[in-house]
Amino acid sequence: MRVAFTRNSDPELAARQCGAALAEGGGTPSLLMVFCGGKLDPRRVRASLVAQFGPVPLVGGAAAGAISRTGLGYSGFELGVIGFFDPAMTPRIMTVRDLDAGVFEAGATLGAAVRDMIAAPAVVLLLFDSVASSLPPRLHHASSIVAGFSEGVGDAPACLLGGGLLTDMNLTDAWVFDGEGVSKHSAVALVFPPDIVAETVILHGCRPVSAFMEITRIEGAEVFELDGEPALAVIERMLGLRLGGARGQELSLLATLGEKQGDLFAPYDENAYVNRLILRANPETGSVTLFEPDFARGSHVQIMSRDNTLMLDSVRRGVAELMRKIAGRENLFALYIDCAGRASVRSGAPVEEAELVLHGMDPALPFLGFYSGVEIAPFNGEHSKPLDWTGVLTVLQRRR
Amino acid sequence: MDRASAAAAQAERELAYYRRECNDLGARLLRLQEEQSQAFREARRSRTVAKLIREAHRIADQCGAPEEIGGPMLEVILENALCDCAALLYRDQSGPDPERHFRIAHSVGLETERPGSSVFIPSAPSFFFTTSRTSIEPPAYELMGVLRVPYILWAHDRATGHALILGNRMEGNVTRPFDEGDQELVEGALSVYIDVLLRKQAEMELRAAKAAAEEAGALRGRFLATLSHELRTPLNAIIGFSEMLSANARREVTRDERIAYSGQILESGRSLLALINDILDYSSLSHAAPLLRPEWLSPQQVVGGVISEAGAMALAQEVTLEAHWPETPLLLSVDHLRFRQVLRNLVSNAVKFTPPGGRVAVTTVARSAGGAAIVVSDTGIGMRAEDIPRALEPFQQIDGGHARAFPGAGLGLPIAKGLVEAHGGELLIESRLGTGTSVTIVLPPDRVRERPAS
Repeated sequence: MRVAFTRNSDPELAARQCGAALAEGGGTPSLLMVFCGGKLDPRRVRASLVAQFGPVPLVGGAAAGAISRTGLGYSGFELGVIGFFDPAMTPRIMTVRDLDAGVFEAGATLGAAVRDMIAAPAVVLLLFDSVASSLPPRLHHASSIVAGFSEGVGDAPACLLGGGLLTDMNLTDAWVFDGEGVSKHSAVALVFPPDIVAETVILHGCRPVSAFMEITRIEGAEVFELDGEPALAVIERMLGLRLGGARGQELSLLATLGEKQGDLFAPYDENAYVNRLILRANPETGSVTLFEPDFARGSHVQIMSRDNTLMLDSVRRGVAELMRKIAGRENLFALYIDCAGRASVRSGAPVEEAELVLHGMDPALPFLGFYSGVEIAPFNGEHSKPLDWTGVLTVLQRRR
Repeated sequence: MDRASAAAAQAERELAYYRRECNDLGARLLRLQEEQSQAFREARRSRTVAKLIREAHRIADQCGAPEEIGGPMLEVILENALCDCAALLYRDQSGPDPERHFRIAHSVGLETERPGSSVFIPSAPSFFFTTSRTSIEPPAYELMGVLRVPYILWAHDRATGHALILGNRMEGNVTRPFDEGDQELVEGALSVYIDVLLRKQAEMELRAAKAAAEEAGALRGRFLATLSHELRTPLNAIIGFSEMLSANARREVTRDERIAYSGQILESGRSLLALINDILDYSSLSHAAPLLRPEWLSPQQVVGGVISEAGAMALAQEVTLEAHWPETPLLLSVDHLRFRQVLRNLVSNAVKFTPPGGRVAVTTVARSAGGAAIVVSDTGIGMRAEDIPRALEPFQQIDGGHARAFPGAGLGLPIAKGLVEAHGGELLIESRLGTGTSVTIVLPPDRVRERPAS
């Protein structure tokens, strides 16, 4: 596997620069995984890469930014490409193109296809279009895709990782390189050969700043009441802000709702929390809309503060832990799926947490990351869950 | 109330107290956290100009020409200001209304590339921004139309005519809506761009001036070398033959020798005079366009005389010289003397460089796109393609071993080119080494018309 990264406002030039870097080692790639800044024209990028390498499948899609050893950024002009040159290490591709018709069903279709494809434990990377519509902002819920996938895949031994694709940090749009072209409302699952396993760490950064509150009214992703009070009023009181109009969109910058897994009263453990970013505030209904609809009436949640210091500590700890775990193994490649909200321009962190990740990684290990809308990873040793405001750092390695 | 109930009530109160304190402290922590984040975000934006200053000089050093600077600069601005799109504009001085027409020099983040497109801004302000509360009226309306997004941040430098505009599709963007505090950012970024642009332009002008000075130096060197050679040869002849004709000569010359030597002196004198005329001609052409006295003449009048003049030379060289006339009778508006000078030079060159048995043709044709072409073609020694530009420069000697075999100051073609251009035409050369050369004079449509049938 080889990695290339560039930043250029000319899509053809960007693709040519990446193509030239990939071609340095010779050979023809059997697959290109591409993360493309949202201001680059994906069709021109694809055409240029195909012109260089022939009819190679492209998977991946829009990314709010990309992270590599040679640079990182979120201007919308970043282009990160992973070339798979060894057919024995190349994942197979499954695609669904009808997320808008039913996200759960699309996930189930993918899961069933993966079940038919794998006999032994396999790593599956799911990349999908995060944005169902921008006006009003509506997402393809990762929790529904993952739930559908889990139902479809059944008890087949799939280790699901993934990320939601989006063109920028404002959730303006998203699109997918689906192996055949560029498409909207699509998801692509990459099924790695059984010879490959993944070692993953989830990097956090949120801390509860309230007592537990019970969700007393919720419809889908829209939380109406916390402890019997309008949810927006509760959050406004906590923030000391009146939210409405444009500020409703700012809310996702400020706080999240977190659900603690396991023993609620066990000591604080960042790994015990599933956080949900707030997509928007709805002053007319007094509700807030979360990124995902997977909280339920009766769920006990806490308002969580995005704590930059905690985030940076979590990165340092997590990367060091992962490096210890992968020491002495045949490591092939590291992929970092990083919530766009963690970028310093959005989080206000004094340093880029992605730089800390790069700093902590073995420099000999090929590395590429992208800024995502949602991250999917095995959680607490159980089934994979979609996560918000996390960084999912995975090292693919050859099975012992 | 029994003791157990009292303890339970106390525990409830205690729990409520801790919950309240937890939430209050949490809220304060949340607000502090957010204030800190906001301060970092603002600091990042305010560092944009400082970063741009650092980046600008790197960009300017990497770019070969001033017009290449804008694109990379916009990318830096966009990345740090976290906007959706941006453009650099300049007042269109070539347009009908430079005060109100701008052209987009560079743009990034737009759905369609728009560099070069013109935008009409009736009263361009020095600084402007829009929010959701801005009325859609001038100049907001026109400025929003530049990037085709509703939220814009604009700065315009009246002195240089350059402008910078940043745009967002949504107001609640990653940071916050545009406000007065962004004036420093957008004006700072624009002034950094203008500074670097002007620096690069000055650098390019200096380089061009240096190259011109070096070229002038080389030209002077070639001039002196060529001139000394071209002067020495006839002067040696004049001095040598004059000595032989003088009273102090060692031997008395015969009558036939006297006639021959006098002829040689006369020929050398004429050659020197022609050389000096050429130098004066080239010098005046290089300083100002010559004053032409055009008149409508037929190709036969213009070309025919030259063919007659060169006939003797062609005969002596054993070269066939022929003329071909256009199917439709034409009239050419040219300065008779100057245009004959051009043709005389081209035809004599063609004959001079064509070996015995070869052919020189002068063909006049009407061009389908209008105008006319007079083509002087030969089957002579020709030139390499890379030597053609040099042949049009003064005092140049083409490599190939035949330069001295065909003496000359190398001014004929540059003078011809200057005179043709003074007529509004073009002088084009095609040549292949060993095959021949074809020199085409293209006259523009306004200098050509059909000759009336009468």
